Amino acid sequence: MTGAVALRWVWSNVWRLWFSAAILVLWWVLSADSTSTFFPPLQRILERLHALWIVGDARRELWSSLGHFAVGYTVAGLVGVGVGALLWKFRRIGDAVSPVLYFVYVIPTAALLPAIVAIMGIGSAMKITIIVLAAVWPTMLNTLDGMRGVDPLKLDTAKVLHMSALRTVRTVVVPAAMPQIMAGLRHSLQVAVIMMVVSELIASQSGIGFFILEAQQRFAITEMWTGIIVLALVGSVLTVVFIAVERVVLAWYIGARAVERKG
Amino acid sequence: MGPSSDGVERRWSPIAARLLVVAAVLAGWEYLSASGSLDASSFPSMTDTMAELARQLLSADLWTALWNTVRGWATGLAIGGSLAVLVGTLLGLNRFAYLSVIPVVEFLKTVPVIAILPLAIVVWGATLQMKVFLVAFGVFWPLTIQVIYGVRAVDPVVRDTAVVLRLRGVRRFVGVTLPSAAPFIATGLRVAAAVGLILTIIAELIGGAKGLGLSILTSVNAGPQRLPATYALILVTGVAGVVVTSAFARLERRVLHWHESQRNLAPTGA
Repeated sequence: MTGAVALRWVWSNVWRLWFSAAILVLWWVLSADSTSTFFPPLQRILERLHALWIVGDARRELWSSLGHFAVGYTVAGLVGVGVGALLWKFRRIGDAVSPVLYFVYVIPTAALLPAIVAIMGIGSAMKITIIVLAAVWPTMLNTLDGMRGVDPLKLDTAKVLHMSALRTVRTVVVPAAMPQIMAGLRHSLQVAVIMMVVSELIASQSGIGFFILEAQQRFAITEMWTGIIVLALVGSVLTVVFIAVERVVLAWYIGARAVERKG
Repeated sequence: MGPSSDGVERRWSPIAARLLVVAAVLAGWEYLSASGSLDASSFPSMTDTMAELARQLLSADLWTALWNTVRGWATGLAIGGSLAVLVGTLLGLNRFAYLSVIPVVEFLKTVPVIAILPLAIVVWGATLQMKVFLVAFGVFWPLTIQVIYGVRAVDPVVRDTAVVLRLRGVRRFVGVTLPSAAPFIATGLRVAAAVGLILTIIAELIGGAKGLGLSILTSVNAGPQRLPATYALILVTGVAGVVVTSAFARLERRVLHWHESQRNLAPTGA
């Protein structure tokens, strides 16, 4: 890319941000001399944010949350893909257990929260359990659906070629199901972040959810706002990271689709 | 596939297997608590739970709680849903507005909805408004994106035909835009309905608004002797989830039966 082309590319994408910028400016100006208890001036929120999260040690809460999230999400992803694949492989069993699985899936996990807290206390185990219980479903169901969608012709071809089961899974099933597995993992990510916060809101001594709730109970509304903003940023950074990983994992697929579209 | 003579058996054996698994799970639950493998102070037995469920079904408390939950969920879904269809359509029809606003919508979609709950609690307290706001807010962003995609996915041939026929305004919206966006909106609504129910329960649990979530919390706090009631309420919440999910799936199938072929091609919002 020459300099001029690059510049034009940047410009054609950057101008779209005017609306986002306008909202921020509007928020800044309208809240500048706000006396409302609930909506403090944006300037003050950002100052507190700097003092607490960048200079101060509120970051510790963030690491605690992200630790639980990382473990819970990893377990949920592995179990989701694993069980989803098993349900696909053993179709009859999968079909027989489907009503039970479906019921557990549609129970809002939040409803189980108090019971889980009563059983497991308020430590890390409880938080990770809640994240796994809620986040496992999107991945599991999408894995199952994705594998069901594999072209039977390809599976028959693999059989005719006497490919081993492992090789069939690796070269036929996984690539075909990958786009949908990734879609499931992305949905699981959002659920995991929400449950991470919920578990801290309901019973906890640490974490960003605890920080927000504690600030709210002290009626420290500005501090509560800093927590909300940090949480919002964490959610979107995680999503952006996921999309970057997805682009790498699905590079062949995205490429193929782009070719298709050009026709 | 196999010969069709055993078609009846083929259709029935999976259902029998499913029923068998459900029965086995319930029996296993009862066995584990009777044998003491399940700690009696944290898990009630299946029969106790079912007996309590029967008693609850006859009491007014359960129905009041259920009504409170359903009311918050339905109002929030209706408000968030109609706003999303309105805003999504406007954004989908105008390229400039779409390109400008989409970064904001995409960003807010990734924000964990739950972040806003403490704010809603301070502003409204443990009220219906607080619940409605959380549900409407949580449902709005993902659904708006679905609507935008749907509106923009109008088949170019259909769009050009509409231009040639000089369809404009309401007629064009009802005859061209809405039908082509309908599958996207339906998928989005189905997901939103389930998410909305979860958010309602969370708002009740954390915000303390009346409903099933609060009933579960009070019953847990009442101690071990109220355990069967806790699990009975959890079962009721699960059934509410089943009803909501299958009702929207059925509605989608019924309203969009003419669109079935295209529906399979529609991205599901991931």
